[in-house]
Amino acid sequence: MINILKKHKLISVAALAYLVTLIVSPQTFMNALKQNGTFLLEMLEILPPIMVISSLISVWVPNNVIIKGFGNASGIKGKLLSILIGAFSAGPIYAGFPVAKTLYDKGASVGNVVIILSAWAVVKVPMYLVETSFLGAPFANTRYLLTIPLIIILGYVMQKVVKRDDIPVSQLDREINEIVDQLPQRHCGACGYTDCHEFAKAVKNEEARMDECRILSHSSKEA
Amino acid sequence: MTTVILIVIAVCFFLWSLFKSRKKTKESLKIAKGLMISTAIQIIGVLALVSLFLAVIPPELIKKVMGGANEAVSVLWGSLIGTVTIIPAFIAFPLSKQLMEAGAALTAIAAFLTTLTMVGFATFPIEKEYFGTKFTIYRNLFSFFAAITVAIFMGVIL
Repeated sequence: MINILKKHKLISVAALAYLVTLIVSPQTFMNALKQNGTFLLEMLEILPPIMVISSLISVWVPNNVIIKGFGNASGIKGKLLSILIGAFSAGPIYAGFPVAKTLYDKGASVGNVVIILSAWAVVKVPMYLVETSFLGAPFANTRYLLTIPLIIILGYVMQKVVKRDDIPVSQLDREINEIVDQLPQRHCGACGYTDCHEFAKAVKNEEARMDECRILSHSSKEA
Repeated sequence: MTTVILIVIAVCFFLWSLFKSRKKTKESLKIAKGLMISTAIQIIGVLALVSLFLAVIPPELIKKVMGGANEAVSVLWGSLIGTVTIIPAFIAFPLSKQLMEAGAALTAIAAFLTTLTMVGFATFPIEKEYFGTKFTIYRNLFSFFAAITVAIFMGVIL
């Protein structure tokens, strides 16, 4: 129970806060619930396609394409490409995290990841139209013209400050590495996979079972 | 509208993938499922907290602090409110217009709109999960100052 609460700290805190609100002020509680409805609807529309797209990218797009387009040596072209990705995307910034992380894992530079995220947040083609209609073209134009150069500077500064070691490996890689750690790592290939890492991937995908590792099952029988 | 485009892209990409290789498509669906579950739980938590925050803080208070006599203070308030909340953009723009008509400073609105989308106090735990603490702190901090810079220049130009 404690472990579950620890793992889902955020949602536990939220549940507690709602419980307190319900007791203190049922009216506020109802207002908050109504607000939740709007948010959840937006999330339900945007999140599934985002997840499908980012996982399809990770399966299909070869790493060298990403490195060439968005890597450390991609130059100004990489920066413009990053802004375009953000500009034509949909959804709030938290929808951008999985996509940006997928590109990063495939070799995009820290600076370009920051540019993608910032452009994802601010530089939006459809939102620009909404902004001009509500706040006027001069307001929207000035804001966009000022923001775009700042985003590129931001990417440059972040590239200098944050190193690749500072960013964690993805959840999937972490889970695969955990499985690899349990293996003898002799890379004998007796299981039918080329090395222990490939075998761990298969175990994670439920295509192979741990006891298919010959060395592991052998030593457990002896014990 | 953007959501429709997004869904169309996802469906086309998915069908193309299915046509090219069923095995790779299956693999990608497994990744998507994992991403979905781990992210959705956290996002629901974040959205629930923000909704509660918005329900507790009355809009009148936001109007008052963003249209104060001291413009610098208003800008600071605008960027702070933008930082702690996430409001869908299609609500944020009409709200900004209302705030401006109610007397909020133009620069404060600009700061509010930029931090609203770029700086995320509420999305901090999600960003940290993906990119680590150092990246998240620096990106949000720098973006916050970038938003204030944009606001100041807008005040000068307009």
